[in-house]
Amino acid sequence: MNKVKQKDLILYSGLIILGLAAPYLFSAFKVQLTYLCVLIVLAMTWNLQGGEMGYNTFGNILFYGLGMYLTASVQVGMFFPLAEWTESGGEKTFVHTTAQYFQGIGVGLLVSAIIPAIVAGAIGYAILGLRGHYFAICTLGLGIAAGEIAGGIEIIGAGQGFTTPPFPAEIVDTEARGKFFYFLSFALLIGTFIFVKYIYGSRFKLILNAIRDNEDKAEAMGIQTMKYKITGWMCSAFFCGLAGGIMGGLIGYIDSTDVAFDGREMGVFMVLMAILGGKGTLWGPVIGATLFHFFKEGLWTLILGWQYVALGVLIVVIVIYFPEGLMGWLREKYPERFGEVIDEKDRKAQVELK
Amino acid sequence: MNKLVKLFITSISAITLALVSFSSSFAKVEGDYIVLGSAISLTGKYSSNGVHTQNGYNMAVERINKMGGVEVQGKKYKFEIIYYDDESNPKRAAQLAERLIKQDGVHYMLGPYSSGLTKAIAPVTEKYKIPMVEANGASRSLFTKGYKYLFAVLSPANQYLEVAIDLAVEKNGGKGVRIAQAFEQDAFSQDVRLGILDAAKRTGSEIIIDDKLPKELNDMAATLAKVKATKPDVLVVSGHTKGALTAIRQISEMKVDVPMLAMTHCDAAKLSKQHGKKSEYALCASQWHKNLSYKDKFFGGGKKYARDFQKEFGYDPPYQSAESSAALLVFKDAFERANSFDRDAVRDALVDTEMQTFYGNIKFGPGGQNIAKPMILFQVRCKGDDCENRVVAPTKWASDKFYHPIPKWSERS
Repeated sequence: MNKVKQKDLILYSGLIILGLAAPYLFSAFKVQLTYLCVLIVLAMTWNLQGGEMGYNTFGNILFYGLGMYLTASVQVGMFFPLAEWTESGGEKTFVHTTAQYFQGIGVGLLVSAIIPAIVAGAIGYAILGLRGHYFAICTLGLGIAAGEIAGGIEIIGAGQGFTTPPFPAEIVDTEARGKFFYFLSFALLIGTFIFVKYIYGSRFKLILNAIRDNEDKAEAMGIQTMKYKITGWMCSAFFCGLAGGIMGGLIGYIDSTDVAFDGREMGVFMVLMAILGGKGTLWGPVIGATLFHFFKEGLWTLILGWQYVALGVLIVVIVIYFPEGLMGWLREKYPERFGEVIDEKDRKAQVELK
Repeated sequence: MNKLVKLFITSISAITLALVSFSSSFAKVEGDYIVLGSAISLTGKYSSNGVHTQNGYNMAVERINKMGGVEVQGKKYKFEIIYYDDESNPKRAAQLAERLIKQDGVHYMLGPYSSGLTKAIAPVTEKYKIPMVEANGASRSLFTKGYKYLFAVLSPANQYLEVAIDLAVEKNGGKGVRIAQAFEQDAFSQDVRLGILDAAKRTGSEIIIDDKLPKELNDMAATLAKVKATKPDVLVVSGHTKGALTAIRQISEMKVDVPMLAMTHCDAAKLSKQHGKKSEYALCASQWHKNLSYKDKFFGGGKKYARDFQKEFGYDPPYQSAESSAALLVFKDAFERANSFDRDAVRDALVDTEMQTFYGNIKFGPGGQNIAKPMILFQVRCKGDDCENRVVAPTKWASDKFYHPIPKWSERS
């Protein structure tokens, strides 16, 4: 047992060192690395719902977009009148000082974590009574509705979009912005990982699994499933909101349906990544998101115009050949590596019977 | 477990090596080539206009290269463009701009298609001090952010249809008119809307319907039903290509009678070809029309450009292509005047641009917008089944008189 722990320690510290060194090693790729961190966070939090709890949600994009708008709004609203900032035409120019910028984004991120979690609680209370496909379809509507609504609210820019505060001009180093957002997202990734890992060792995860495997039985055993379902979703929303907040600042421009409530892309990607890696596992979403991101960044520009066809093919391949994801596939091939003991005698006996 | 860890470490180091070796990218000027970068919408909702833009760029690159290229410090250079597909998505566009600059080493950018995407890319080019000449981002808010490296060869979006309201008021004997309007929820169309609001205030006109249309636009029957009931003097619709097509389709299906119909993107939507007589009398704002009398030595005039473009790509050039071609002429001019590849020297040369191209005069205002070129309006007119766009305003280039009011559907054959 101790030996395994030591190995884990080496693995984790190796990854952390790699993560800390990455923006210096691959200076040109900072933005892609930031995306990678955010994608992993989204996949991991989706996995809590779709993988562990068995509630396939397309609604997590709602929290992501909400976080994005909230962070930007707070960051602007703390120092300037928000309505004038977003007013289309925008004749006036407001400039954040360095201190204002960082204070703003700090408070903004805090808000963007808490409010989506509360919203998740409220919506969850209303719709987590639905099961299976009904829940999936219902959440699909959430993201779309949010996009349309946000596109009509003047104070956050409506259809014009919302330009987030530019990085303070007083910092002359052009690399500073990239580094700032990278480390922010990396910190979020570590935080999320620790949290999910903690959940994996807790009774909470077992309850979520029980809900997935048979909700009625779980209820019959005296588990208040509704309470746990809502809590689970709130946890996801917390991290999704943060991820959205960081992305908003990084992209610099928020559009209601294409950037914030981007169900067509981010909303689908987070599901896809979790399934690709293997849902219901700790490392699956991490591996899935990483592979997906490499695939996307590496290949998409080579097949200009056909990338979505390639994505479609990828989805088909995943669903047909790796229905359990890469982790599931590995687990089937090398069960002993995953700590599953196989009684060779028994297995042989069964084979002979056939 | 041991094997897995080993495998993991090996693959990580392999990726690391690959990335590090790839990082040492090539630079802005490679041999005889000046490398420009552009993220273009080849897929997604702006794909048709994205392709018009790309064709415009390509046409100009080919022409300039063929006619001697760009001369800097006595040496001839050729243009080359690195394209990426931004999928009509601002998030992707910003990321690709970063990629073009940081990984492909691009030092000069050409704009994407649409205001929204330009809005997403401008902060990136500004951050790295990369001059960007863009031809398809017209939203006024682009020019009020104090961007120093952004240059647009086109007139701002709020000017698109202001003239149309003026025309309507004129036809109404100088009295204010009743306006019905429907705009897509995107940066460009919302800016056109602001222009109309300004014009309405100025002329004392009243806005009786002010609808928003969704982004993936293919139905506006609700708005049209209201128009039928309230009978406004002018109907204004803007929503890129899809907006123009949807409006004409449903207006003709529902037989909506309105004295004046003003739109954007009619030529990009090839309205006169696709809908023929149904689109007759539609009034359209345009940055350019082939009948205008501007000239330059690369493309000759508008008519010659249109012929060459038709030969090359098989369709009549919409203004999106023309303005995109003009962007390269601007770059060429700036490089030669700067006589250097220093980004700031090129930027300063761009500021001083004052030239005529086949597309129009170009001179940049303090915000980076083109202040030397007016918008024009054309009207779709048909002879038999053959429909054409005829310029009706401003009077200097008008080839036809503005036809008003539009005859009722019951009187149209």
